[in-house]
Amino acid sequence: MPSDPDELHSWVLRKARDLPPEGLTDDLPLLAGRHLTSLHIPELILLLERLRRRPIDVEQLCAGDFRDLATIRARFLHAEPGELA
Amino acid sequence: MTSPHLAARGVRLRSAIEAMSGTVDRLTEQSRVKYSNPYAALSWPDAVDPEADWFFTPELLSPAGTAVMERLSDRQSRVLAFHESANFFSLNIHGEKSLMEGLAKRLYRSDLVDISDYLHHFLDEENKHSVYFGGFCRRYATLYRSRHVPFQEGPDRAVADFLFFAKALIFEEHADRYNVIQGRDDRLHPLARFINQAHHADETRHLVFNRAIVDALWQTDAPDWDDRQRAEIRARLGQFFVATWREYYNPDVYAASGLDDPWQVAEDAWAHPRQRRQRREMSDKCLRFFLSHGILTEEPADAF
Repeated sequence: MPSDPDELHSWVLRKARDLPPEGLTDDLPLLAGRHLTSLHIPELILLLERLRRRPIDVEQLCAGDFRDLATIRARFLHAEPGELA
Repeated sequence: MTSPHLAARGVRLRSAIEAMSGTVDRLTEQSRVKYSNPYAALSWPDAVDPEADWFFTPELLSPAGTAVMERLSDRQSRVLAFHESANFFSLNIHGEKSLMEGLAKRLYRSDLVDISDYLHHFLDEENKHSVYFGGFCRRYATLYRSRHVPFQEGPDRAVADFLFFAKALIFEEHADRYNVIQGRDDRLHPLARFINQAHHADETRHLVFNRAIVDALWQTDAPDWDDRQRAEIRARLGQFFVATWREYYNPDVYAASGLDDPWQVAEDAWAHPRQRRQRREMSDKCLRFFLSHGILTEEPADAF
């Protein structure tokens, strides 16, 4: 499956506010920690769709899908097409 | 915030709303005079021909200036313009849905009751615009999806109020620039021109109201916000510029128009200097408002 986790990491690194001293880790809570807001999601969805080359069903999404980098990768980039919204 | 703070905030808000009451009364009267019936104002053609007519100003197409456009025939450009038109109407529907929800939530709220008469018109006119936009998309095209996902994030009410009206201002000022240009573009199919003109006719009042209420709320609440809160609000507004503009570069439109690799088309168009320049020009009026009122202290670079 075409995907580029580094591009995802770079994008979040560029957009996130107030990162902790340990930096952007895979389990850093992005929305709950207010490093990203819902206003970042449209751009993030476009990036994820481009990386996986398939649309994401936006109506099926919830905040938990974007909890942290590990969740985003598992949910949108590493799952098989049939498993995805 | 403690009770004395709340009381002081209430006094400031009443004073700020009182100061804009002349404007609100004038807008309310104009809305009553220009009250319209969207079901009678327009007769819909049975069908339209996207290959024969322009439905979107060619120079405003989101890939205008990029290599993609050079490869399209005139007929393919018109088809793309048709889908861009449906996307523009769709993103207006999505924006107006959020706007109507937020207006309804604030209607007759005790601290905003003095603007309720106008909020009735604002709400009514947004609903009518969606009748036009939805009528076009459902009859001839499709309703394109939005990638905005409004998760609950729970800022306090003053912040939520300010962000709600500031976002309405940004969204409506951008859409209005397109409406003005396309309403005057005699190359466009009369239906596309009519919808743009009708939208602009009401939006002129909304833009005046948005600026007045955003200014009033900023004057009321900014003194209570510390530097960190103001920085967070500014960052949110900046990202809203990005999110709003991104919706104009919709891969679904490019796919419907038969373009290969639609996500890359979107990315290339977004990053193209001609498009970045055009976005900055279209945002100029509302940027000047935010900067001159001290709400933003710098332009949101990521949007341009």
